[in-house]
Amino acid sequence: MQSPLSVYKTHSAPLSHPGWQLAPGLLIAMAIITLTATGVGALLWQAPALNPAELWQSRYLRNVVSFTVWQALLSVLISTLLAIPVARALARQPQFPGRGLLLRLMELSLVMPTIVVVSGLVNVYGRQGWLTELVNDFAPALQWNLYGLNGIVLAHVFFNAPLIARILLQALEAIPQSQKRLASQMGLRGFILWRVLDWPAMKPVLPGLLALVFTLCFTSFAIVMTLGGGPGATTLEVAIYQALRFEFDFGRAALLALVQLSICGGLWWLVMSLGEHTQVLSTRRFSQPPPRRDNRGRARFCDAALILMFAVFLLLPLLAIVARGYPGLATLPMLDPQTPLFQATVKSLAIAVPAGLMAVIATLAIVAAGQFPKVKTVTHSAGYLPLIVPPLVLGTGLFLLFRPSLGTAGHGMLLVALINAMMALPFILQLVRGPLASLDQPSRQQADQLGILGWYRWRWLHWPRLKRPLALALAYGIGLSLGDFGVIALFGSPGAPTLPVLLYQQLGSYQLVAAAATGLWLILLLLIVFSLAHVLTRAARLRSSAQPQKVSAMGIRHA
Amino acid sequence: MLEVSGLHFRYPSSPDDHGAQWQFDFTLAPGECLAIHGASGSGKSTLLNLLAGFLPTNNGSIRWRQQELMPLPPWERPITSVFQEHNLFEHLNVADNIGLGLHPGLKLSGQQKQTITAALGRVGLAGMGKRRPAQLSGGQRQRVALLRAMLRSQPLLLLDEPLTGLDPDARHTLHGLLLEQKRNGVAMILASHDAEDRQILADKVWNL
Repeated sequence: MQSPLSVYKTHSAPLSHPGWQLAPGLLIAMAIITLTATGVGALLWQAPALNPAELWQSRYLRNVVSFTVWQALLSVLISTLLAIPVARALARQPQFPGRGLLLRLMELSLVMPTIVVVSGLVNVYGRQGWLTELVNDFAPALQWNLYGLNGIVLAHVFFNAPLIARILLQALEAIPQSQKRLASQMGLRGFILWRVLDWPAMKPVLPGLLALVFTLCFTSFAIVMTLGGGPGATTLEVAIYQALRFEFDFGRAALLALVQLSICGGLWWLVMSLGEHTQVLSTRRFSQPPPRRDNRGRARFCDAALILMFAVFLLLPLLAIVARGYPGLATLPMLDPQTPLFQATVKSLAIAVPAGLMAVIATLAIVAAGQFPKVKTVTHSAGYLPLIVPPLVLGTGLFLLFRPSLGTAGHGMLLVALINAMMALPFILQLVRGPLASLDQPSRQQADQLGILGWYRWRWLHWPRLKRPLALALAYGIGLSLGDFGVIALFGSPGAPTLPVLLYQQLGSYQLVAAAATGLWLILLLLIVFSLAHVLTRAARLRSSAQPQKVSAMGIRHA
Repeated sequence: MLEVSGLHFRYPSSPDDHGAQWQFDFTLAPGECLAIHGASGSGKSTLLNLLAGFLPTNNGSIRWRQQELMPLPPWERPITSVFQEHNLFEHLNVADNIGLGLHPGLKLSGQQKQTITAALGRVGLAGMGKRRPAQLSGGQRQRVALLRAMLRSQPLLLLDEPLTGLDPDARHTLHGLLLEQKRNGVAMILASHDAEDRQILADKVWNL
């Protein structure tokens, strides 16, 4: 052993200057803020003259604004009313068969390509849908129409109820075990259990969660494009698209964009001022709760029925996609580079993979810089900024700005990938932030004292915690971009579509078999991406646990 | 010789509250052990954190062998800390946890690896280098933490309740290791509630 009084040698770690941790994130945050401000600014600059009076003078615009708010409120209300009992039922029934698969499905709802799900919903709830035909047989008087408010809200509930339920379940699972045990021991149930245990757990996450879902419904584009339309069922996002793409009315687009920005921005300002956290994606594993008094007998039957109904609600459109898409997909020459499907797949991946990578790199840099309290507000605000800025507005502004130099299709694709990466940021940030923050204060102090700084800290302390969430984050980034039907609708050329655009074109030209095949292929592609992420994370887990795991009583001995 | 003079610290307080504050003045010779005890919140951990550089303060002076330590960050101070818990990185095995004390990037020579293996054997942990901290008992974990501190060869050891909650056998082993450190000339500051620890290890006792 060395002499304890030897002169201490300091090993300097590579990249240990704080600038290496601070600068990339700060630069990216500033780039996001600048890009957003430039995009919106370019739109305003191109607008001949803003006429705010148009908002209350034009009946069309009044209708658009009120319909946008109304459909979003209704979607949030119905999604929440469905999600709360589902989350409580899932929390009460930890052993429910297939619970894990259902949770996985609920998690995937966030990245499910909108246009594909809409085609599934049409197959189930459309005029000739499975369920509609069944209901018409029993109640012919019921005049159900999927198109318009009904369909928009139904689709929003399909996407958002699982998201809300998943996050509320996470909040319920995070109740300290000791409190759950006390409630179990005292035999609490019914309203008192809700008041004492469940509501206090859900209350802190609700404001942020509801604001998030409201924003997602408020800025929804593909759903309204396909199931809405017409002056009676148009949202701000679709009106912006129409103003830009068909009417070339930049002034109106800018005005609508400002209305959208102020409503979403105001809402988020309100939520942020409440100081509550918003968990967009699950960051923790689910533990085994103690038995509850209200999870047996009739209550158990009701829970099971509710979970089953919810699972059927989620699975039916997906089954429809598989059933309608399989015959078309099975007969398609998949590997023929001349088929539109093959070309669209290549184009989609060429956008989605760089978008996913950019989103992950930007997230890492932002989170790293966020470790410095002084810049944390700037970096994290930049990370969440894309949530309130409509991608169409951003895309259009940037398009107008870069139009002279957007010479090739490649430039346009790069811009789409860039905006997709930005749109994925708020979701990916949630996945990465938790594990990075899990290095507790004593461990950080130990690391400081041992000189584990810079590259060494990243390699030995952060990377082992981050490699699994990063693989998942990459899958989310790629998945969100693969399903994008917002920005690409603006920039995409009809001759070289991505998969969602191809699907939209096929639906528009009544090639229903081909559309179903494209939809199924898109879902399969998404599953492949997530399976790859799963394999990667499992490999990482196996490698990290390759050490002997058995601890025998004989092995633990004291001198 | 460690010389602490006028070391002052005050926790940030609300306008209507006078935050807790301390001032420390003492000296400690190589091979000496100063035990500090007192009620919770009396400032034991605050003193250790100030010495280690974990709490920032500009008031006062900490000198070791005439060298002023105040401007130095934690990794440049000739100090190693052992806490009551959370001393080890859970995702790294025992050998790597110790190895971090020898090189913060785990770039270890063959001889250093042999030193770790031999040292593990000396403290009754032979063959446990590949185990994770979660697979060790509380006493074994503290022995690993202490082993890292010993191999890091710093002349000042700060011990924040390192033996609390351990069974008598584990305490006995750790007492032996700490006494060996004292004999090697390591100066120690021990924060402990336990009278037996103070009796066995301390040369001076300070009630805060």
